[in-house]
Parts: sequence; C-alpha cells; structure tokens
Amino acid sequence: MEPMSPETMKILANAIVLGASALGAGTAMIAGLGPGIGEGYCGGQAVAAIGRQPEASGAITRTMIIGDALAETTGLYALVIALLLMYANPLLGNLIK
Amino acid sequence: MPTVLALAAEGGITVNGPLVVASFDLFGITFNLTESVIVQWFVILILLAVVLILTHNMKVVPETKRQAAAEWIVEFFTSTVDSTMGNKYNKYRPYFMALFCFIMVNNLMGLLGLRNPTADVSVTGSFAIITFFMVQVNRAKTGKFKGYMKSFVEPLPFMLPFNIIGEFANPLALTLRLFGNMVAGMVISALIYFALGNFAVLVPAVASLYFDIFSAVMQAYIFIMLSMSYISSAECED
Repeated sequence: MEPMSPETMKILANAIVLGASALGAGTAMIAGLGPGIGEGYCGGQAVAAIGRQPEASGAITRTMIIGDALAETTGLYALVIALLLMYANPLLGNLIK
Repeated sequence: MPTVLALAAEGGITVNGPLVVASFDLFGITFNLTESVIVQWFVILILLAVVLILTHNMKVVPETKRQAAAEWIVEFFTSTVDSTMGNKYNKYRPYFMALFCFIMVNNLMGLLGLRNPTADVSVTGSFAIITFFMVQVNRAKTGKFKGYMKSFVEPLPFMLPFNIIGEFANPLALTLRLFGNMVAGMVISALIYFALGNFAVLVPAVASLYFDIFSAVMQAYIFIMLSMSYISSAECED
C-alpha cells in the first residue's frame, strides 16, 4: 500500500475527529434517561400525594415543579456537552492548520 | 478548509451565538454590544410600558380592570414569596417580581422572531451571579462572621471542600438550567424547520407552543423558586 500524502492524512484525521465528536454528542444524550426516570417518579409520587390529600394540591404541585427542575439538571449538563461537541468543538482546533 | 468539512458545513444546520452589533475598547478590554443586550433594552421598554399602563391613575378601591390586574399580580408574588421564604423575607418581594417578569418576557421574545436573550450563557449567568451574592449576603447577615465561617465546616470539618464546591455548583446549575432549556427549544425548532423543509406547516406551531410559551413561563418560575429556596436556606440558625 502506498504511503498517504500529508493532505490526505489531514483530511482523514479531521473526518475521524468529526465522526467521533458526532458519536460523542449522541452518546452524551443517553443521560436523558436519568431525568426521564427522575421526573416520572416525581410526578407519580405527586399524583399519589394529591390523591391522598387533595386540599394540599397547590403546595404539592409547587414542590413537584422544583423537584422536576432539579432532576432535569443532569440532562441539561449532557445537552451542553453535546452542543459543545457539535458547534464549538474543542478537539478540532488542534487539527485544522 | 478540507473538502470533508466543507461538505459537512453545507448540508447541516448551524446554531449561532448572538450577533455582535458593535464593539469598543475601554481600558484595554474589548466590550461587545451583542444582540442579547439590544433585545434586553427592548424588553425593558416593554415592561416599562406595561407597568406605566397598569399603575396609571390608581384608586383606593379598584375601579378599572387595569388596577385589578396589577393588584392580582402583586398579590400573586406576595403569596409566592411568603409561602416559599417566610414572612421575614418580604423585602425580597419586589426583586423576585421584577426578576420573574424580566426573565419571562425575555423568554417570550422568541415569539416575535427575535433571538432569546436567555439563550445566551452570559445573560443567564449574570442572573445566577446576583442570586449567588444574595445567598452569601443573607448568610453573612444572619450568621455574622463566625456563623458564616462555621457554615462551611458543617456538619463535619472534612466536608469543607464539598461545601465550597456546592456553593459554586448552585449558580452554575441555575445558569445552565435556563440556558439549556432555551437553547434546546431553539435547536429543536431549527431541526424541525430543517427536516420539514417546505412542508413546515402545523408541527412547528405545536412545538413553538411548548418551547416558546409553556417552557418560557415555567423556566422563569423555576428560576425564581430555586433562587428563593437557595436564599432562604442559606440562613444560619444561631
């Protein structure tokens, strides 16, 4: 097999980094599982609590929203990482010359 | 640019940061006047107009619907702040009302086709930094110097690094929560428009109903609720 020219190698390296970054961005969003389970549990418990005590529904709903927001945080961290990989890739800067 | 990258850049969608309208140098630092700042000035004008209209010509007994609406809004924030933070924090009511209205109208700017100022990490970060300092001031005020220092070594001295990290993790989480939700809405709308092409008729409207209206109001409410609970839980007991 002939040795690759430097230009081809540069393109190949960029392609590998781009592809791996896209895979990484997709993989990071698996973190969406956690908030889904957490918010579902939170909502289910809130419904059960309102069923037991309908008169406290206002306070329960308020607490549930806060709990949902806190459970959501890890998912948003993953989203920020995925966005960084896609639009502000820190790895690509080392390659393109 | 290599051909592979050029091809990728042509076909895909891009999400850009806010445009830089003008930039000037002051004391060797470059200050950028971005789209976010301009839109926020616009939001301030909208809020000023609404406030002037609602509070114009008020009576002791409300006669107009305007005054009834204004009283309902104030009443709502009074009860929200009181039920979350307790009665002794009534000085914080105007701040949280202003913060909620400002964040909510900022989030709703997407409806007018403008770029959401809150989809910019420097805007949400500045809101979170205000909350961070309010937490520190409240802790220092209630605990004085001794209580302030002691709160970092509770419940056990080896918890000191975790407490310090936790102190900075709260504003970071607040920043990224608002920013992430708004950017997610923007990216998903862009993806829907890109995927549907010329057939983008009903689906973007439904998505916009969730991301631009429901999520906008919800995130503003969550931001103030979390700020309130951070501030009131920073109080030192003794």
